[in-house]
Amino acid sequence: MALRDVKPTRSELINLKRKIKLSERGYNILKMKRDGLILEFFKVLDEARTTRGALEEKYGKAVGMIALSNTIEGTLALKSAALSVKEIPTIQLKSKNIMGVVVPEISSSKVKKGLLERGYGLLGTTSVMDETATSYEDLVEAIIRSAEIETTMKKLLDEIESTKRRVNALEFKVIPELTEARDFIKMRLDEMEREELFRLKKIKARTKG
Amino acid sequence: MEIAVIGGSEFVVGFRLAGIRKIYDAEDEEKLKRSVSTVMEDPDVGILVIYAKDMERLPARLRSTLENSIRPTVITIGAEEGGLSMRDRIKRSVGVDLWK
Repeated sequence: MALRDVKPTRSELINLKRKIKLSERGYNILKMKRDGLILEFFKVLDEARTTRGALEEKYGKAVGMIALSNTIEGTLALKSAALSVKEIPTIQLKSKNIMGVVVPEISSSKVKKGLLERGYGLLGTTSVMDETATSYEDLVEAIIRSAEIETTMKKLLDEIESTKRRVNALEFKVIPELTEARDFIKMRLDEMEREELFRLKKIKARTKG
Repeated sequence: MEIAVIGGSEFVVGFRLAGIRKIYDAEDEEKLKRSVSTVMEDPDVGILVIYAKDMERLPARLRSTLENSIRPTVITIGAEEGGLSMRDRIKRSVGVDLWK
């Protein structure tokens, strides 16, 4: 709002005062929301870092195991065993609310399987295959966990960013402009009053004389 | 919902062993791009696991869509700097590099 658009009237002044009050209240609430979100974010951050680390570690182990399997069993045997696994891990997405941010809660059906549930023949394969399967099941579990946490982080970060933007807009743009307009109107009104007073005095002096 | 995996044949075989069925192949760029869009349109995929090297091969625009996607959630594995995109986001939103 540019200053030249402001009409120096009393009703405008009252309106502006009301607006300033509203913006300040909004600003305070948003600031609290931002701080709360950042607090929540810190809670998730630590967890995210540890799950990320665990994920990478499990991936390293799984890759090592699959290489071993490849050498011992051969690519073809590995592939055929992999294709015969029947049980599919499924996941359920529920949602949870953190300070107005809807974040997912992922739960999964059983990922880990017993030896007999895997579907490939036990006789045709060595224990390396079983261990490979176990390490990959571990990896999938880690992936599911870190998927939940990383989505939560992403959503929280987005919300923090937009809240921060709003807080800053109010603090550095909206409220200063409103107060500037208010001061301008006040000044103009005072000026007008003084002019009026002066005019009255002049008239009084003239009628006397 | 299910988990989907995109990657080269040696990357995905282990996931197949863990019972994951939605496996998409990424032998060349064309196939990779096609696989990614198939997964993104599939409403039954909750988590997408993608090999970090393949993620780097994607065009920047598609990559940022994946990074920002929440449903499915995209997890990249296989690279040292697995949380690089997360790090950038944190830097942007909080203003401080808190990752590591």
